[in-house]
Amino acid sequence: MLKTWIVTAETYLRQIKSWSFFFMIIGPFLMLGLTLGISYISANSASSSQEIAVVGTQPVLRRQFIAQHPTELNTKITTVAAAKKALKANHLAGYLTITTTEDQVNAVYRGNHSLSKGVEAQVQNFLAKTQQLTNYQAAKLTPKQQVQLQRTPKLTQHIASKAGTANLAKTISFWLIVTMIYIILITYASITAQEIASEKGTKIMEIIFSSTTATSYFVGKITGILLVIITQIVIYLLGGWAIYAWALSRKGLHAMIAQYQSLIDGVLHNLLNLNLLYLFIGVVLFTLLAAYSGALVAKAEDASKAAQPVVMLGMVGFFATFPFQNNLDALPVKIMSYIPFLSSYFMPMRIINGTVGLGTQWLSLVIALITTGLMSWGIGHQYQHLMLQSDSQTLWQHLLNRRRRN
Amino acid sequence: MLSIQHIRKSFGDVQALNDISFDVPNGQILGLIGQNGAGKSTTFHSILNFITFDGQITWQGHAFSAEDFNHIGYLPEERSLMPKLTIEQQIVYLARLKGQSAKVIRPQIDDWLERFAVKGTRKSKISDLSKGNQQKVQLICTLIHQPDLLILDEPFSGLDPVNADLLKRAILDAKQRGAAIIFSSHNMENVTEVCDQLVMLRTGNMVLHGTLQDVRNQFGKTELFVTTDWDARRLATLPGVASVTPRQPGQFRLHLSDPAAGPAIFASLTQGHYIEEFSQQPPTLDEIFRMKVGEADA
Repeated sequence: MLKTWIVTAETYLRQIKSWSFFFMIIGPFLMLGLTLGISYISANSASSSQEIAVVGTQPVLRRQFIAQHPTELNTKITTVAAAKKALKANHLAGYLTITTTEDQVNAVYRGNHSLSKGVEAQVQNFLAKTQQLTNYQAAKLTPKQQVQLQRTPKLTQHIASKAGTANLAKTISFWLIVTMIYIILITYASITAQEIASEKGTKIMEIIFSSTTATSYFVGKITGILLVIITQIVIYLLGGWAIYAWALSRKGLHAMIAQYQSLIDGVLHNLLNLNLLYLFIGVVLFTLLAAYSGALVAKAEDASKAAQPVVMLGMVGFFATFPFQNNLDALPVKIMSYIPFLSSYFMPMRIINGTVGLGTQWLSLVIALITTGLMSWGIGHQYQHLMLQSDSQTLWQHLLNRRRRN
Repeated sequence: MLSIQHIRKSFGDVQALNDISFDVPNGQILGLIGQNGAGKSTTFHSILNFITFDGQITWQGHAFSAEDFNHIGYLPEERSLMPKLTIEQQIVYLARLKGQSAKVIRPQIDDWLERFAVKGTRKSKISDLSKGNQQKVQLICTLIHQPDLLILDEPFSGLDPVNADLLKRAILDAKQRGAAIIFSSHNMENVTEVCDQLVMLRTGNMVLHGTLQDVRNQFGKTELFVTTDWDARRLATLPGVASVTPRQPGQFRLHLSDPAAGPAIFASLTQGHYIEEFSQQPPTLDEIFRMKVGEADA
């Protein structure tokens, strides 16, 4: 047992201390930070050349417009001559002249580019309101008549907001869990297979097997890799929690989170339940299979090919979920939710959908656990033989000939 | 004591080991010699349970078990370490797998590096070491936990004479401690210098076994080394002399067809007078090796 832990610690520390692990961990946070940073900079760095100026002979209209639309406006430029100069120097995107002639509101925009949709809508809205006010004054309408003319038809929609949110939460949870399982499986299947395959046929394995049993070494190796996976998940959970806590402390983001609170709660509820256990069991199963593939390669140089069968199986499970994402009660989904390797994808789908009893969930989990136990025993049993052989058979030849060789 | 009794191993149609039996008592060194493919590594792999075999192998009177791992020091034929580790990390990791505490091993590392004249410090990366120095680090990993059973597969291969001497000294120290040692080698000089007994394998069969002197004596004292003023042609006329090979001016090696001819030759050569050299010996191990290999090829 002690030797198993020595192997576990060595495997774990070697992976954790590697630059590849550091970049794997920091990658998503960097991406998130970059995205937020770029958005922030972009939002706050509207250069003067994107601004427009409002000029004209009627200062009242100009002031009203500026008061209602303070963004993307250059308020320092007040005359047409100054605006023309700024436009020429590319300090302005354009300028708007608003005038009223005989109860007709006119606006002229001159610039290097047409108005953006948002600004155009703001201008149209302002002009419509100003024109309406001018019309009312010209028609000499009483306030009651003005109110009557402002009436518009009403359309009211009644949507059960809770059910709508729950369905959205299911969809988000489904994609999150399936993608998470897929990414973790693919990443660690490759790492495991390469870790094992790189030792294949090397004499260091002979030294190690003269020091401890192959089963003990194998269990230590797999446990080390699983600890690396757990470390990554824990870092992401803590990182997610820290970002969430930070977002709550920001005034603007807090309001947005409050708006989607029930959705966020729904997604978290769907993720932090038995699904997390399924994710872990799935990872263990795929890791074991990856280790077996790694042990089957002909030589250490073929390590990169070792993960192929496992990655393919992971992809089959991932893509097989697509046709059923809106039909989770289909028979194939029920069948596949019991089959080890595939159950890691399909049972969480059913759990999220809320159409599966606890007994069924545990039955599927027990099947996966028994498979894990049998695989560990079987692979541990053959591990020494596989790791010490140094013939030139390919991975597929090994799979086909293994029974005959034994 | 390591005891190997009637072991057999075949790979498909090839009989790799055929009824091999020998013992290595504690405090003794056994040299395993033979051509490439003779079955030396297969014998080691059988002892270490890397492969299945027929027959019985026991250590200190019982079959090998996981509890015995800590008492074994094994050096494989090809050298292999973990290139990303430092010398210290590598030695400590393998020693811990041999049941040693890192606290006990770490203080010894500098002494061992000095003893084997390793060019590098404990913090040097394995990948930065020369091939020869990596080999020495591997030897340290094999010896540092003071094993009771040492299994060394071609330990001298690739070592220069100075480093080979360092290794011989380490092997003899382990013998002094009471370790049972078995090693394979193509270099008969090394075997002659350090072994108490030897086993020669040929295509999986044991063709020689015994102490070095016993093995040599099996072939009779057919080699006669003399220093005389006789010339080669005259020496060849002596009764019982099969061939004469000049070594140096005035020094000859006579191969006898009958070892019993020695006294008569002595009498003829000396005629009651002093001569500088007259030494009748069995063939050297190297000659025996060549002879046995030659028999197989014939």
